[in-house]
Amino acid sequence: MNFCKRAWLNVWAKKGRSVLLILVSAAILMFVLAGLLIRSAAIKATNQAKADVGATVTLSANRQAAFKQMRQSSSSSSSKSSRPKLTLTPVKLSDATKIAQLSNVGSYNVTSTTSANAKSYDTVSTSTGMGGSSSGGPGGMKSGSSSSGDTQIDGVTATSLTSDFSDKQSKIVKGRGITTSDKNTNHVVIEKELASQNNLSVGDTMTFKQTTGSKTTVKVKVVGIYKASSSSSSTAGPMSTDPSNTVYTSYTLANSIKGSKYAGTADSVTFNVTNPSKVSSVKTAGNKLISSSKYSLSTDDASYQTVKASMSSVESFANKIVWLVAIAGTIILALIVILMIRERRFEIGVLLSLGEARWKIVAQFFTEMVMVLVVALAIAGVGGKFVGNQLGSQLVSQTATTTQTTSSTTSNQPGGSSQGGGGQPGGQGQNGGPGRTTNSTKQANTKLAITVSAVDLAELGGFGLAITFLSIMIASGGILRLEPRKVLIS
Amino acid sequence: MLKTKDLSYWYQDASQPLFKEVNLEFEAGQSYAILGHSGTGKTTFLSLIAGLDHPKDGEILLGDRSLKQIGLTNYRRHDVAIVFQAYNLFAYMSPLDNLLTAMAITGAEHAGDKAYASQILRDLGIGDDLITRNVQHLSGGQQQRVAIARTMACDAKLVVADEPTGNLDEDNTHAVIAQFQKIAHEQQKCVIIVTHEPDVAAQCDHQYRLENKQFTQLA
Repeated sequence: MNFCKRAWLNVWAKKGRSVLLILVSAAILMFVLAGLLIRSAAIKATNQAKADVGATVTLSANRQAAFKQMRQSSSSSSSKSSRPKLTLTPVKLSDATKIAQLSNVGSYNVTSTTSANAKSYDTVSTSTGMGGSSSGGPGGMKSGSSSSGDTQIDGVTATSLTSDFSDKQSKIVKGRGITTSDKNTNHVVIEKELASQNNLSVGDTMTFKQTTGSKTTVKVKVVGIYKASSSSSSTAGPMSTDPSNTVYTSYTLANSIKGSKYAGTADSVTFNVTNPSKVSSVKTAGNKLISSSKYSLSTDDASYQTVKASMSSVESFANKIVWLVAIAGTIILALIVILMIRERRFEIGVLLSLGEARWKIVAQFFTEMVMVLVVALAIAGVGGKFVGNQLGSQLVSQTATTTQTTSSTTSNQPGGSSQGGGGQPGGQGQNGGPGRTTNSTKQANTKLAITVSAVDLAELGGFGLAITFLSIMIASGGILRLEPRKVLIS
Repeated sequence: MLKTKDLSYWYQDASQPLFKEVNLEFEAGQSYAILGHSGTGKTTFLSLIAGLDHPKDGEILLGDRSLKQIGLTNYRRHDVAIVFQAYNLFAYMSPLDNLLTAMAITGAEHAGDKAYASQILRDLGIGDDLITRNVQHLSGGQQQRVAIARTMACDAKLVVADEPTGNLDEDNTHAVIAQFQKIAHEQQKCVIIVTHEPDVAAQCDHQYRLENKQFTQLA
């Protein structure tokens, strides 16, 4: 191992040259590390997006089939008095349970929306000059039991599973949200404006009056108060009830307000798919479990696809950085080492005249470079994170701008998947509550969490060793051909 | 100990050799000087017996084995030590490290023995204040003595020197030649010195002159 000692003596004796080599190596490694960090952060972000953004499959009534049936009955009936009705079949919870058991399906949220009239309290009215506080979207065709009340009742499995709450557009400010334990109870969560207008707080009771059937009153207990964000509130159409009049309950209570025939049903059931890439297979498997003439399964993985596309682009760019810098670094280092070796021909000649093996001379140069590399790695470890952060945030902001522009252009097309503003027609139809959003309208606001881990440094070390090894191998061609007589006796 | 048998060497044209069919014999415990004008081929001859190059024709025998059989790298490592006109020390090392490195590479009996190496340097007038200093800070005479010390520290039986006094003043020249004589007579090594200085050659036990492609022993 005498060559190791020689390497150390050389590195130590020629401090200026060693510092220069350290700086060059650190600069190369810094960019390699930046690439590696961005790449691993992009992979992490994509995996995180799978968990965070997720994808959903929604089971609801097949509106297309219902419209088709309505048109058929309209054309077969000649009587003007019998106006055609759009009949949407409520989703059976038994079907939902079957789908929930499919692989890759995580939690699911049952949604049952209806309306009721205020009895023991006053609703919040919004003066828009376009129709007061009447509920229901514009131009809606009534379906099923059709009278609408001034309070929208959103029956859910749990408020935390709804997009309004998971997107932080609404948040609980007092008490708690609706949970699965509220099933078959009369617990409600009301909006802050409604609560303050009626001096209601957690623990108080309030009374609704059914809009249809026997129009009986229902006494409910407030267990929580939520605050809807201004953006959420403003998404309702001009003819809909004020968003503050939306009350969250368990879907069982919403069903009982709708009427006894709605027991065990829902307007829609949204299944969260644990692995968004499997959303299509879940849909295919789910379709086999339901009657497609009555129900449909729709998928929503737009956010996941947006994030995935964005991160794939970043990952691909990072890969290019890694390889380009590695190749350029190898060439630069090789040239430096070639010059260094040319400068040390005399020393090589002396070593050969002493009978030193050629491979040990190559090993000495390699060891010297490894010593330089160790210090350069430490510098690159510190600097690489900074460079990676700068480069990564720049990349993400550029990529996100591009993908969001593309995404918004697509979603503004007619027939897009937005279910937000405007609301569903006719009070007791499905979805369309104020401020409701879906995954597709989420922004892929993914940040790259760039951290330098031991694995990253090990990978960088591997790259550094490979670059050094290649550089030395390229340069050592000269050593292997060198004849000591020509060097020493001239 | 070392024999050349019909040794010939030429660069481009075999009809114009530097020397032709040289048959010489060198013994342990003796010093030899090879004299000649510049360009006659004496340094080339030295490089052949030092194992730095292959002869074009003929062979060199160490004992009864040819250098080809021994292998040039092995021969250089174990059997021969070379002193150059330009000293050829490791510039980034101290005199002590130069000796220790050479001892480690050649696998000398005292490899790694700092005290042994230091004593050799002291014997050659390199004091304790100099042995750990970078060799570039030493004078030419001191560097040449370090180069000689390096040959003494290794166990090679053959010491060859190419114009070892070429860069030295008169006092240093005498001191260096005296050291070579000591190596030959006290350590029983064979010392072959190439020089163009008759005064230096005169101090050696045997003198040869390379002239007209042939070696002639001087009286």
